[in-house]
Amino acid sequence: MIIRRAALLLSCLFFAAVQTARADEAKPEAPLSVVRVNVTNQPWDFARPWGKRPPYSRRAVGTLLSGNRVLVTAELVANANYVEFETPEGGQRVPASVEVVDYEANLALLKTEDTEFLKAYQPLEITHAKVGDSLAVWQLESNGALLVTKGPMTTAEIGHYPIDDAPLLVYRVTAPLQFRDSSFTLPVVKEGKLVGLVMRYDNTTNNAEVLPAPVIEHFLLDAKKAPYEGFPRIGISSASTRDPQFRRYLGLTSETTGGVYISDVLRGGPAALGGMEKGDVLLQVDGEAVDQEGNYKDREYGKIGVANLFSTRHYEGDVVKVAVFRKGTKKELEITLKHRPVESYVIEPYVLDRAPKFYVLGGLVLEELSRQYLKEYGNDWMKKAPEQFVYFDRQQNELFKDGPKKLVFLNRVLPSDLTIGYEELTQIIVTKINGMAIQSLDDVPAALAQAKDGLHKIEFDNEPRVIYLDAAQVTAEQSALQQKYRLPSLQRLN
Amino acid sequence: MIHRFWLIALAFGLLVAPVFGSPNEIRKSIARIDNTMQDSNYRVPWLPGNMAAGSGTGWVVSKDRILTNAHVVSNARFLTVSKEDDPKKYIATVEHIAHDCDLALLKVDDPAFFKNTKPLELGGIPELESTVAVFGYPIGGERLSVTQGVVSRIDFRTYTHSVLDSHLTIQIDAAINPGNSGGPVLQDGKVVGVAFQGFSGDVAQNVGYMIPTPVIRHFLKDIEDGHYDRYMDLSISVANTLNPAMRKALGLGDDDHGVMVSAVQSAGVCGGKLQVGDVLLSIDGHEIASDGLLELDGERVLMSEVAERKFLGDEVKMKILRDKQPLEVTVKFDRAWPFLMQANSYDTPPAYVLFGGLLFQPLSRNLLGAYQFQSDRVNYFYDNFVTKEIYKDHPEIIVLSTILPDPINTYLAEFREGIVDEINDRKIRTLQDMANAFAEKPEFYVIKFIGYARPLVLERSAVDAARERIRKRYNVLAEQNILPTEFTAASR
Repeated sequence: MIIRRAALLLSCLFFAAVQTARADEAKPEAPLSVVRVNVTNQPWDFARPWGKRPPYSRRAVGTLLSGNRVLVTAELVANANYVEFETPEGGQRVPASVEVVDYEANLALLKTEDTEFLKAYQPLEITHAKVGDSLAVWQLESNGALLVTKGPMTTAEIGHYPIDDAPLLVYRVTAPLQFRDSSFTLPVVKEGKLVGLVMRYDNTTNNAEVLPAPVIEHFLLDAKKAPYEGFPRIGISSASTRDPQFRRYLGLTSETTGGVYISDVLRGGPAALGGMEKGDVLLQVDGEAVDQEGNYKDREYGKIGVANLFSTRHYEGDVVKVAVFRKGTKKELEITLKHRPVESYVIEPYVLDRAPKFYVLGGLVLEELSRQYLKEYGNDWMKKAPEQFVYFDRQQNELFKDGPKKLVFLNRVLPSDLTIGYEELTQIIVTKINGMAIQSLDDVPAALAQAKDGLHKIEFDNEPRVIYLDAAQVTAEQSALQQKYRLPSLQRLN
Repeated sequence: MIHRFWLIALAFGLLVAPVFGSPNEIRKSIARIDNTMQDSNYRVPWLPGNMAAGSGTGWVVSKDRILTNAHVVSNARFLTVSKEDDPKKYIATVEHIAHDCDLALLKVDDPAFFKNTKPLELGGIPELESTVAVFGYPIGGERLSVTQGVVSRIDFRTYTHSVLDSHLTIQIDAAINPGNSGGPVLQDGKVVGVAFQGFSGDVAQNVGYMIPTPVIRHFLKDIEDGHYDRYMDLSISVANTLNPAMRKALGLGDDDHGVMVSAVQSAGVCGGKLQVGDVLLSIDGHEIASDGLLELDGERVLMSEVAERKFLGDEVKMKILRDKQPLEVTVKFDRAWPFLMQANSYDTPPAYVLFGGLLFQPLSRNLLGAYQFQSDRVNYFYDNFVTKEIYKDHPEIIVLSTILPDPINTYLAEFREGIVDEINDRKIRTLQDMANAFAEKPEFYVIKFIGYARPLVLERSAVDAARERIRKRYNVLAEQNILPTEFTAASR
């Protein structure tokens, strides 16, 4: 799984190889429905949380939808400092802004104040595609002409999105895409209607993963409501019941053919609140039978994972009826679906458009552990980041059922006379300060008020387990430390 | 990268003057050792592993014993020793082997071997910059080779034979290349070390390491009672007390002394005696500086050197501060560190249980080397076995390492690399527990793995029916090998 993710990330930006036969040079739709989108992104530097990394720019193709909104993937506008629209042939540019963004569904709606600019374009309607359809991927030539590459849709399945915890529906299309410099966020079109946006492309297999119309429609409907709520989740993990020994152990008789084993239920999640339990066998959702692998027969896509029912077909607040098999009896449950807010994770899967929290305590740089921090280690962060942190992230649902709310860790030490002897400390979890348990970085100031005998006592989960700082000296040397290391500020909390 | 010297030793010292008394006498007491060895086979544990041949050097240390490196005679199936002036190959056997300090003592039954030999005398620690001579049989040659070098550094260093252990090591600039392993390093006619490992790579050249005489003497003394007990260890970690606020909090003055205990392994000899936060002031009367070093025989050495010099049954006295109050603590070395799974292991056939085509093996350095597990949990449990005291719940970490495909386990692939937690609601702490659980006759064997909410279920009738089929199909010679080791015994 690790390898697969890396390969896909590597190939998501640029399409190499100028080999394949040019697809039929479709006549540009008149008038055009796409504009160029130029974005300057500047992510925060989680290793030095007081600042940002150098900015970089990306060019993409945005699709005009009704209501003068332009659709792109959320990845494109993550940590965007500046967004502008540009005419396909280059030339006129107007400032634009992000109206709604959902990093889990990987979609963003952009708008511009300059209403005149979009008048020349025709909004695209949205339609669904099915396996076997011939789809067209749109790119832009530098002169503004539409470059159309056709290919068949091969698969509809539940697949990975850039935020790893949130699988949703994906279309797969095989098409020999050309290399063009603004090939981010390409629209995929069927009979002049939008069926999705290219999310990743692998130029060795010509396989494009497409963010599909049902997810886009879901997002657009959610986007009409404020505040934006996001895709609902049920909060379960499941495991196959194909093994006949396992089925007999569960007490499933031969007249029950399907059912997937619920291997875990997220504490406080919709399934748990609705009465689902670990060890249940999920038999039906919305009257649809669930098979041994956790698939149901979708009216559009055929056999597909039940996550599609919970997350794409349903909306926040919807009630689904499920049937489970529990200890020999069948039970009907009603589950109110809810979106899982990113803040509810102990180790947040993403921190985008938000500055990382930090607290510099006499040279000890404290931060909250997030996957965004781990991703500073690059594409193979799962191998390169501290082993313990990666393990904590991957197993967080299991390890932190009873807290803490967040993991505060000592990222590094800025050496000064305050921290002599501590210079080499790095990447250890802070458990207590002055005897107070640290549940999040926001607990730090209150804990610091509890210094005893003029000393701050800081405890860690690992060696050296405990260190001390002189409380008066910490206060006295604050500004000197800030100046010495040229820090714009010493803390950023809620 | 450090690697062991099996063969080859060629280097030219800068100095030409001989530094030993009567070279001929010394030469007669140095032997070439030939080892036919056989590895353990962790992938197919009921079969032996690869065979290989190697050679090294040994020397007469007493009337009728030869000293060499443990790695020269590890996994030995057949050992011979020969001398330069004697055409005969003599059969040798390992009498004592110390994998933690890479030394071994060999016995030769035929007294003819020791004719004309004279035990070499042990010297002390040679001075820095002084010249030493390295004797050995490079590239397995028939003739003894001698090289010279200068003592460059005396330091603690990892002994790569076990990887887990560090002891005093002397670095010399004779580029001893593989082959001298086990050979004596002499100065003024006395042995000052045993050549044992080198340093290779881009960063260093002309670097060789020898085991100094304190380590050799420790080994020889340890085996005097006929049994090797291994090195003693305090099994604690300490943190420096350089920081003034830290010193104040711990009740320390301005005298640069004392270190803070930052971890105490409950399974170690200090378990229950020391606590995290205690300050160690002195050990056996040696004052400990705030950086964890102390003075011993005129050298500043790591605090652990005091424990290094102890034997089973010895004691150390420590002066400590606990909550700023002085205390004296006496620790008795009544056992060596029992958890050796992170060390290379030799001469032991792999432990395993095969059940329903599922191969369960206790996690160890050797197992990791054989399988390259991808599971982050397996790697985390291995690395944190000691630091997070995982051994408390799992003295052995039992991993489902391989599945021999059969209809009975065809849907179980997802459990590969899983760590067994319970079988039929009973905790599995050791491989023996597991064998016991499988010896019972329930209707279902319900195996829970750590972090997997879904249990692995095997039907007894299905297992029974598959047993002969799997044995035959995969040529399984034995379904289990359980080694009650020191640590599984200690965990009871």
